[in-house]
Amino acid sequence: MTVTVARIAARILPSVLALAAALIVSATIIAVSGRNPIVAFGALFGGAFGSLDSLSEVGVKACPLLLAGLAIAVAFQAGVWNIGAEGQLLMGALGVAALGRHGEHLPAWLDSASDLAVGAALGAAWAGIAGQLKLRRNVNEVISTIMLNFVALGLISYLVQGPLMEAGGRYPQTDAILQELWMPRLTPYRVHFGLIIALLAAAAMHVLLYRTVPGYEMRAAGLNPAAARLAGIDVERRLLMALMLSGALAGLAGGIEVNAVTHRLYEHFSPGWGFTAIAVGLLGRLSPAGVVVAAIFFGALDAGSNAMQRVAGVSSVLVSVIQATVIFFLVALERRRWFVEPTRPSAT
Amino acid sequence: MNMSPDATAPLLAVRDVGKRFAAVQALANVNLTFRAGEIHALLGENGAGKSTLMHVLAGLLRPDTGTILVDGCAVRFASARAAQQAGIGMVHQHFTLVDALSVAENLALSLTESRRFRFRAEVTAEQARALAERVGLELGSPQTPVAQLAVGACQRLEILKALAGGGRVLILDEPTAVLTPQEVRPLFMMLRQLRDQGRLVIFITHKLREVKAVADRVTVMRRGRVVGTYAANAVSESHLAEHMVGTIAAAPRGERPNRLAGAVLLQVAEVSAHDARGVAALQSVSFEVGAGEILGIAGVDGNGQRELFEVLVGLTRPHGGTISVGGRRITEFNPRAALAAGIGHIPPDRQREGLILSMTVQENFLLNRNLLDRFSHRRMLHARAARRFAADLAEQYALRFASLDAPVRSLSGGNQQRLVVARTLAEQPQVLVTVNPTRGLDFAAAAAVSDALQAVAGLGCAVVVISTDLDEVLDLSDRVRVLSRGRLSAPLQPPVDLEQLGLLMAGAA
Repeated sequence: MTVTVARIAARILPSVLALAAALIVSATIIAVSGRNPIVAFGALFGGAFGSLDSLSEVGVKACPLLLAGLAIAVAFQAGVWNIGAEGQLLMGALGVAALGRHGEHLPAWLDSASDLAVGAALGAAWAGIAGQLKLRRNVNEVISTIMLNFVALGLISYLVQGPLMEAGGRYPQTDAILQELWMPRLTPYRVHFGLIIALLAAAAMHVLLYRTVPGYEMRAAGLNPAAARLAGIDVERRLLMALMLSGALAGLAGGIEVNAVTHRLYEHFSPGWGFTAIAVGLLGRLSPAGVVVAAIFFGALDAGSNAMQRVAGVSSVLVSVIQATVIFFLVALERRRWFVEPTRPSAT
Repeated sequence: MNMSPDATAPLLAVRDVGKRFAAVQALANVNLTFRAGEIHALLGENGAGKSTLMHVLAGLLRPDTGTILVDGCAVRFASARAAQQAGIGMVHQHFTLVDALSVAENLALSLTESRRFRFRAEVTAEQARALAERVGLELGSPQTPVAQLAVGACQRLEILKALAGGGRVLILDEPTAVLTPQEVRPLFMMLRQLRDQGRLVIFITHKLREVKAVADRVTVMRRGRVVGTYAANAVSESHLAEHMVGTIAAAPRGERPNRLAGAVLLQVAEVSAHDARGVAALQSVSFEVGAGEILGIAGVDGNGQRELFEVLVGLTRPHGGTISVGGRRITEFNPRAALAAGIGHIPPDRQREGLILSMTVQENFLLNRNLLDRFSHRRMLHARAARRFAADLAEQYALRFASLDAPVRSLSGGNQQRLVVARTLAEQPQVLVTVNPTRGLDFAAAAAVSDALQAVAGLGCAVVVISTDLDEVLDLSDRVRVLSRGRLSAPLQPPVDLEQLGLLMAGAA
């Protein structure tokens, strides 16, 4: 089993190195600004893991990042560069926010679950637009998914100021969803059942990618489309499947956030989860287990940043610096060239 | 620069040049002399070393040993730009033009005098026109965006670019590969014109008739070495073909098991196909292969070999004709249908089309729709059964690797090919299509692959070996046919008349 241990170590090494480098860079920035990096990092850590309350906050922050990070992992493993998790997430949030204002004649938990399913489906459909454009018109999915983010943003901006605006008509936001639809939380803490869903989704993605035929085919199609095609794999179908699955996970991330945390949709609903998710996915080496760890790490950074500002006087924005630096180093260390289309085989 | 220019020295010469890439000796002691005012063809199979040699001359690669002489002076190029300043320009097979820029702007990228900070469109256009006039090539409007040019015009522009520094040597890498037959003639006229101006034109090709059509002299390369240089009008195409594809040994081939071909398993009737450019690549090809038979399809590369492979494995839909396996006609053309019909394959380039290098050894053993179905139930993989399958095959084919969980990238070339062969034969295909199955393998691995093909034929499989290596095709096959210019010859029975084979490969049939 030493071989397996060595392989896992080799796989996570770039992430560890990137993290170390990011910590050194941010420590330098803290030191240059005249504060004590050790105090700051201590406050950051304490703010995240110091109490049950803060631990619960880590879970709340990690939940959307975990689901959206899984969305990135699935798409990227299949060689589809989905940069549109943000838009797909917003569409999922829109579905849950719109449907949750009125109850159906269903048990509340079933109503809530069906709303989430609709949110996931909306995310999948949003990603599916880019997928169809790629298959039919050979439109690069990097461009189309990015552009669809703006369309989703614009659509939500219109809806929350128009058709879906709250009944009182005071703020650009939807009405809150019915309280009986809210998913259970671990009172008195804020951490909610969505985190369980996200962890189950990670387990499901692990099984899909490494234990099933479609998952194998997606990975094969992503790593070497020419060889996959010759082996009888329907590469186009797998690309579309991965992209729509990715959209569904992102949609679920947005849907759960509405259902469990904000209870309503408004402009600037997402602080960029769909983009941070790319960092989470890469830091997690695109493996579901890695994404879980990366999402908790990023969630902890978010949750601890306020404590760092309060205790050490270091602006909470520094957390964004850490996150960004991680990605810079990861991409620099990565041997695989991101976003470069694989070349087609030449003639014999 | 240890010598002064010598008026009698040849324009360009290479002396004892060697170049090694990891385990592959791409060039070994190459000695060649090129004269001003000639069109010199460089002929050889893929991997013969001709492109490597040209990249050395054009400053893109540095040789490990040996020297390059320009006008008798030893030179050492630090970059392609340095080579171009010494008068050596190269046109690559894939164009290096910027589509969005105009003709003049593209030329400006190569013109040293225009490499200033300030860019003036009028000056650039004027320079482009002057250059075209000096070289004597038709340029058209310098303001035309390159995206609107036909392929032939793009190539002309590439040639101008290569000669922009006042070049005396023009190297073209398979210039006709991207052209339609109608565009080839103007290209040849252009090359003759450049030669008549006293330039040296070197062009890489593996097409014999182009050598005869345009070259003054021809150098044949094989496996990194120069086989010989000949006057193009004094050497026959069949001789060139022989030199190019193999050292034809007169010695008798080893005894092969005397198998009788059984019932016809693969029937290909009047199949035609187009290549990527839409040019006819297979013209009404018909053949049959019986159970237990190995049919060799010999020929020089670029004569429909790739297209025949693609049609048989379902990558390309034939333009006409039918393919039947065991009497059942194939109606659906995709790799999955071909595999389901019992057509297994060993692709020409295992790393590109046969393996997924960053997946593990075990995962690569499953890279086949039939095997994925065999080792799954309701789409869930049977991890344990698949692992046992991989381990058994690895043992049977004497694969060497650190672990089933090691990436396939870490295997040697011979072991990678053994994996592909083992996987393909494990599903007991009725028909096996292989392209150059032993190319690039060391002796032991080549022998193992060859034994495996003989064994599977012995079990009643119909085997097709498409090969551009004459030694390989004669070694492996019971009967040999020759594919030339998209047409298939009648079968040659062993012992094969080598002279006849050479003539067929040259397209004389």
